[in-house]
Amino acid sequence: MNTIEVRHLRRVYRTTIGVLRRQTKEVVAVDDISFDVRPGELFGLLGPNGAGKTTTVKMLTTLLIPTDGTARVLGYDVVKQAEAIRPRIGFIFGGERGLYWRLSGIDNLRYFASLYHVDPAVARERIPYLLELVGLADRGQEKFEGYSRGMKQRLHIARTLLHDPEVLFLDEPTIGLDPVGARELRLVIRNLQAENKTILLTTHYMFEADALCQRIAVIDHGRIVALDTPEGLKHHVQDLSVIELEVFGVPPEVLDRLRALSFVDTLSVENREQKQALLIHSPRGSEAVPDLLAALNGLRVGRVLVREPTLEDAYVRLVGGRA
Amino acid sequence: MRSGELRKYGRVVAAAFEMSLRQMALDGFILFTVLVQPLIIALMALWMLRERGGDYAIFVVVGSGMTGLWSSLLFISGNSINWERWTGTLETLVGLPTPMPVIIFGKNLANVAQSLSSMMAGYFLAALLFGYPLRVEQPLLFLVSLAFTVVSFVSFGLIIAPVFVINPGVQGWQNAMEFPVYMLSGFLFPIALLPGWTTPLSYLLAPYWAARALHATSSGGATLAEVAFCWAMMLLFSLVYLFVSSRLFRLMIRKARADATLGMQ
Repeated sequence: MNTIEVRHLRRVYRTTIGVLRRQTKEVVAVDDISFDVRPGELFGLLGPNGAGKTTTVKMLTTLLIPTDGTARVLGYDVVKQAEAIRPRIGFIFGGERGLYWRLSGIDNLRYFASLYHVDPAVARERIPYLLELVGLADRGQEKFEGYSRGMKQRLHIARTLLHDPEVLFLDEPTIGLDPVGARELRLVIRNLQAENKTILLTTHYMFEADALCQRIAVIDHGRIVALDTPEGLKHHVQDLSVIELEVFGVPPEVLDRLRALSFVDTLSVENREQKQALLIHSPRGSEAVPDLLAALNGLRVGRVLVREPTLEDAYVRLVGGRA
Repeated sequence: MRSGELRKYGRVVAAAFEMSLRQMALDGFILFTVLVQPLIIALMALWMLRERGGDYAIFVVVGSGMTGLWSSLLFISGNSINWERWTGTLETLVGLPTPMPVIIFGKNLANVAQSLSSMMAGYFLAALLFGYPLRVEQPLLFLVSLAFTVVSFVSFGLIIAPVFVINPGVQGWQNAMEFPVYMLSGFLFPIALLPGWTTPLSYLLAPYWAARALHATSSGGATLAEVAFCWAMMLLFSLVYLFVSSRLFRLMIRKARADATLGMQ
């Protein structure tokens, strides 16, 4: 049996706009997605902001009722058997909220240990172990409000492990962390995987998904556009090369002109201080460079680089250059 | 409910109780509601009623303490779920194995327990500042009445909190609900002074029966049957409140999961 089974899951948000003439507006956040997560697997849900990752996690953690479709966690239905799921899962959502600011790290963990029905004797042993695991052993007595963002995220991880759950849902756990903090947190996640926990991780950092996940579902506009191993996803761009052109002040009409070229598969723009990097996927590789430079029509060009595609390029292609 | 579950939930109530006391001890608004406002009310009442002599002082002390109890129930227990939402912890709490009403029960218990300190503060104010000789005439019956009061107020809080979440419009009337209940419950003067048509409204409020029992036992002269009747009414209302609140909590969580409002600030 798979640990997580998702079938044709759909979630629509309804909002009303206007005061006198009230209109109902519908936003499809998750649109008919299906996937399975195997026992002990670290499964990634990868997509740009607003793709439907958090909505999916909220439905799987019983916090949100799906509009359509079914989802089962450890064999239990997320709507009808939510009470059976809750003691067996742990979850964290990205950001700093979710713990009590005026309490110390240890007091927060003690409180949640009671709410998770952890036996007091077990909690007394487990809390120092978890603080050690997340690198907060010497900061547990300090108030949560004084923690850095990375420390807060790590305390969230400790909180969600208090009851030793079988399944973990980590929603963008490294968002907003500095590189060192993010690396430390990835190490914690890797250690959890070594403990054979089933983990569903959402992220919009490709390298993070590549480094951690055994399989990745790429989600965009609420739909799964690809589901494969990191190596399998790279095959989506095997036939392409990536051309990086550094330009200064590229106008939108030039971008449109480049996109219209027959040999340009996708084009995305990265802002790098005063300059922009145009990332162009093309089957022609270095042969396409002269035509691209001609299309730039005399615009100032910095560095030009032609390279093999990475997983990030596969992702950019899958989400149509929106990443 | 099995004894194992009872022990687990007992631990949750104790943890929520302790956590709330720690948080409240640092909150200026709560300290004002629980301590300062009832003291101002007690001060004014004692001043206005100084001509009536010391016999009336215990009535004022108990009554002003009850105003603190009701205000903190309305503003602190009433906001206990919304407070979790503002703190960003509501989603986490709903996703826990512990049912939400058990956590809120522990929080409300802490709130009501802390509110009793306003009665103590009023007592010392009357005794020290005005020099009234204060005496609770029927201390045992008074303590039992106090226990029933705590139960009925905590139960009442379990109704207000989900109602404020389900219908934020009702919360807009929070301020307007404070003084009418002071008057209808007879905290500071007997309800016989109010127009007759308001009496049935008073009978529908558990705080009225609490005030009647506490005033009667502190001022003296109440028979056991009279006080026991008040206890029975408080118990009856508590059971009704608990029944209604269990349905309200279920509705609130179902609605929040359907409307995606758990994580809203």
